[in-house]
Formats: sequence, C-alpha cells, structure tokens
Amino acid sequence: MKRKLSLLIVALMATSLVGLAHDRKALRINEVMVVNDSGYVDDYGNRGAWIEIFNANFSPIDISSVFLSTNKEKPESCLYAVPIGDQLTKIGKRQHVIFWADGQPNKGTFHTSFKLTPGSDNWIGLYDADMSLIDSITVPANLPANASFARSEDGLGEWEVRTGGDKDYITPSSANIIKDTNKKITDFKEKDPNGFGMTIMAMCIVFTALLVLCLCFYGIGQIGKYFSRVRKAEAQGLDLDTTQLVDIQHDSGEEIAAIVMALHEHLNAHDTESTVLTINKVKRAYSPWSSKIYSLRELPHK
Amino acid sequence: MEGEFLTSNLQRFWELTGFANAEFGNFVMLAVGLFFIWLAIKKNFEPMLLVPIGFGILIGNVPFNTGAGLEIGIYEEGSVLNILYNGVSAGWYPPLIFLGIGAMTDFSALIANPKLMLIGAAAQFGIFGAYMVALALGFMPDQAGAIAIIGGADGPTAIFLSSKLAPNLMGAIAVSAYSYMALVPVIQPPLMRLFTTKKERLIRMKPARAVSQNEKIIFPIVGMLLTCFVVPSGLPLLGMLFFGNLLRECGVTTRLAKTASNALTDIVTILLGMTVGASTQASQFLTPETIAIFFLGFMAFVIASSSGVLFVKLFNLFLPKAKKINPLIGNAGVSAVPMSARISNNLGLEYDPQNYLLMHAMGPNVAGVIGSAVAAGVLLGFLA
Repeated sequence: MKRKLSLLIVALMATSLVGLAHDRKALRINEVMVVNDSGYVDDYGNRGAWIEIFNANFSPIDISSVFLSTNKEKPESCLYAVPIGDQLTKIGKRQHVIFWADGQPNKGTFHTSFKLTPGSDNWIGLYDADMSLIDSITVPANLPANASFARSEDGLGEWEVRTGGDKDYITPSSANIIKDTNKKITDFKEKDPNGFGMTIMAMCIVFTALLVLCLCFYGIGQIGKYFSRVRKAEAQGLDLDTTQLVDIQHDSGEEIAAIVMALHEHLNAHDTESTVLTINKVKRAYSPWSSKIYSLRELPHK
Repeated sequence: MEGEFLTSNLQRFWELTGFANAEFGNFVMLAVGLFFIWLAIKKNFEPMLLVPIGFGILIGNVPFNTGAGLEIGIYEEGSVLNILYNGVSAGWYPPLIFLGIGAMTDFSALIANPKLMLIGAAAQFGIFGAYMVALALGFMPDQAGAIAIIGGADGPTAIFLSSKLAPNLMGAIAVSAYSYMALVPVIQPPLMRLFTTKKERLIRMKPARAVSQNEKIIFPIVGMLLTCFVVPSGLPLLGMLFFGNLLRECGVTTRLAKTASNALTDIVTILLGMTVGASTQASQFLTPETIAIFFLGFMAFVIASSSGVLFVKLFNLFLPKAKKINPLIGNAGVSAVPMSARISNNLGLEYDPQNYLLMHAMGPNVAGVIGSAVAAGVLLGFLA
C-alpha cells in the first residue's frame, strides 16, 4: 500500500515538474541593451546593460531557479541563477521583466552576477532549472551605444537594432510593439464594414460544425440499426438477410406500447414495473419535530 | 461642542444615505427591477431568471456615496458583490450553467433525427443579421458581435461572449437577452403564423426511432470533439455542455448529474441572475446604447425565429413527402430551451389537436444551444 502511495506521489510530482518545464519553454529573451548612458535607470538610479525576458504564455510563469549565462560553451562558468523565494519572479501573462547585467547580484533579484561586454559579441542564454536551453541570442558587437537589440514583436519575429527614434523605439519592460488598437477589430471595421463577410464565414462554420455532427450521427444511427437487426436475427433464429426485409422503423413507440398493454391485460403480469403506481397509506409516529403545529409560519392559503 | 459633534456626524451619516445620493436614474432602474419582479410573479414569465435579475436590479440601484470607500458597490474591487460578480465578469458562471443544461437535456430527439441539427444552425442567422444592423448603427465589430449574440436566445452564451468582447455593455446585453427569452411566447407565434400555410402547419411527422444507450453515450463525446475541433474558442461552453450530458447518459454518475442539473444550476442561476441585475447601475445602464441594444436584441430574435421557420420550408423542398418537417418546429432553432419547443407544440395542437410536436421540436431546440455556442466561439475567435 505504501509503495503504491509513493509511486502515486512520484508520478504526481513528475507530472507537475513536466508541466512547470513546459510553461517555462514559453520564456523569451526579448530585448537587450549593452551600453546604456542615457536610458532606463534601475531602482538605485544607475544606468547599465539590461536584458528583458518576456513570458509568451497566457498564464503566469515563475522564473525562480532559471539561469542566465553569457558563455555558450561552458554556461556553468558564467551563470546567474534567479533566486528562489522572491514573489517578483512571477511574471504575469504576456508580461516582461528586466535583468540588470551589472555584475552586482547583491543589489537584488534582478541584478545578475555577470556583465555584458561593450564592443564585442555578447551571447546570452536562458536555461531552465535542469540546464536545458530555453532561448538564446547573440547581440552583435556593432550595436551602438544607447541602442537596443530587440525582437520586432514580443516573443516572435526577427531581431532588429532600435535606436530610440519615433519608429524604432526602445521599450524596456514593455511591449516591443505598442498597440493602441486591436488589429482584428480594425481589420473587420475597414474590410467588412457591413458585416457580410463575417456573416458568410460564420454561418459556413456553424453549418459545417453541425453538418459534420449530423452526418456523424446519421452514420452512428445506421450502425446502431444494423446491430439491432443482428440482435433481432439472433433472437429469432433467422438469417440476417431475412431480417433485413423487415423495416426496423415499424417498431414505433406506439406499437410497442400497444403490445405491452395487450400483454399486461392478457397475463395480468405486473408487480414491480416502474410504471405501476401503488399508493399505500403510511402511518408515522407523532413527533413534535415534524409537527406542522410547531412550524414557524403557516403556508399561505391560495 | 458636543452638539456640534453630533450634528456633524448626523450630517455625515445623511450624506451616506440613499436619499442624499439618489438620482433620477436610480428611480427609473428601481422601477425596471420592480417591473421584472411583477412580470415573473404575476405573469409567470421566466420567474427563475426574472426574480433574481429583478431583485438584483434593486440591489444594484440603491444609491450610496461612492466616494465614501465603503466597498459595497458591485464595481468596487474587493466588495462582496464584486467578488460574486467575478463569475460574470471573468465568464465562469455561464459554463457552469451549460454543465447543468447538458445534465438536464435529453438529446435523443436530435440523435434519432440528426438532420434537425441544421435547423439549429439556420436559426443562427439571427445573430449575424443583428450583427450587420449593429454595424450599420455605428457599433464597433466587437460590440456588434457581443450584442448580436442575443439572437442566440441563450443567456449564458450572451453573458460569456459579452464579458469577453464588450464588458461595458454586458449588463444591457444580459438583461435584453433574458427579457426577450421571457417574451418568446409573445414574439414567436405571430412570425410562425406569418411564414407558414395552414397545410404546412398540419404536417404530421413520423415518431422518432428509439435511441440506444450507446448512442446517447457516444453523442456527448463525439459532439464535443467534433464541434471543439472546428471551433476551439467554444470549448468552455461546448465542453461543459457535453460533459454534463455525459454525466447524465453514462448511467454511472447519477449523483453527479443530479447535482449538476439541480443544486449546482440553481446556485449558479441565483448568483448569475442577481449579479447581472446588480450590474445594471443607472449610470452604466441608462444610456442611448441600451435602447439600441434592446432594439437589436428584438431584431435578432425576429430574424432567428423567422430564419428557422423559413429554412424548414426550404428544406422540405428536397425531402420526400413522407419525411416532410412541420415548419412550426423551425422557431425552436433559437435556443430558449424548452420554451420555444413548447411554443411549437402548442401552435401545432392549435391546428391539429393530435399533432404533438414537442419531441420533434426538442431536436432543433437543443441543436440551437450547440449552434449558438459554436457561433459564440466563432465571434470570439474572430473578434477577441
């Protein structure tokens, strides 16, 4: 018994770990700045290199115990483990978090033990707790000062250099594309202003879904009829071919009810059928607990 | 000094009372709430829905000082009403109601005559007809989608979709959907008479074949997989609907089916109705948009009922004489289970006292539930 219980606990733990690992695969390195002279400042008022991590999932992810490294060949040699026990390591759905690559981990959870090197390629890897690589990026050496290297869209797209202009803005701790409208809605508003397109598409889908269901159950019904014919043939000791001549549809509810009533009349055979109602007088001993006299109020008279 | 202290406290108390904070809109909404309660008790129009909604309107429109920080209003985060309202705003009450509907519904009529499913699909024209009119009235596509779902005649679906697409319109949409569902016996019969001939109303349909237990068990499993593979965004509603039905039909979870169809549904209906009613605060509800929503809701019901009836007439052109469908069951393609099926039956009996259409009408009726959930999934997929 104990062994079974242990096995069950192990299986549950393994399942939950797999679930956790699966969630963390949705983490993405989203934007990086190596030389920061005039941009975003940390809680101490200092500027420095930063790495933005994005949760591409639609549920929160706890990134405690994931690793950041800048050494592709030997990640262990230059590893920063995100501490356990800080509630801020839980990233909300589709949200971002910034790590300061300032080599000062004593400043807090989001300050790494390594620094990024200006003027040379910087490889950054994001590892899960089991040291499996989740995501990585090489930031080019020629990245200008105060420019970021970012994905064109959160968690997706090509990497591009952003210098902070009107169209290539730098977005630490926020979405790489600032959306002020829902693209789907504006598309429908512009391309289908009277709703014909939506009506045609949606009705086709609704009809398809129910038509598929209809055909499926038509088929299942035919199979059901076939098997009932087989059973009928077996019960009557006839060939299946002979039975096929008898239309199963003739066994309507009305006919069955008439046959049953005739049998009932002929055999007077009823005792335990659920359709027979028997009314017996039930006597119960008086108890003040069930007495209506002691009810809080009388029932209304209609 | 003490007199001044007492006066200032009493003055402050007066400022907290409903009398000091009442506005004209509050009294209008209180009158609406009382009207709903009257409709439910005196006219017996959907009392299970209109009593909680009506009383919820009263609760939601008792005026109070919103600046006092009492945390009592339904829109004040952390208040008791706000916590209860989370089931509506986050959209988890409707799937629970669908679980109960699934556990209550016998899909036999549909399984025995699967072609009736298409009537349930045709009636969804009401949704998209209203969508087009809503766009013409200047609503944005997401708002138009949320309003149009009223045509599905399914309160939980309307609440679910509007909570996702247009949360600010949810109160008006929910109240409109439930109002028109209560008024189905008034709206549908004239349309059914208008679009059918006397000869068509007398069509007698063959009794449906008996459906085996295995078919009843397969239906929710296959139904869920097929419909949700086509429209995964309908998963919360369709998944729970078919799950409830499996609990009912599998024969080994009778207790769960009973709980889902009775206690659970009752609890969620009470909470959903009351909080939807309470969400109709005058400041949010009494707007020109609400009038437009009620108008669009009415249109959606008319189009849905008419398209169901007209589709049956069209369908009959392709069916042999012995398999013709009585178009009086076409109205049941809008959900409103089982009210619209009862209307088909009553109208059928009016023209032929021995023509019982109830079980035939239950086919399109439950297909309408599936169809409106699929339509909601489509709108959610396109517009969310």
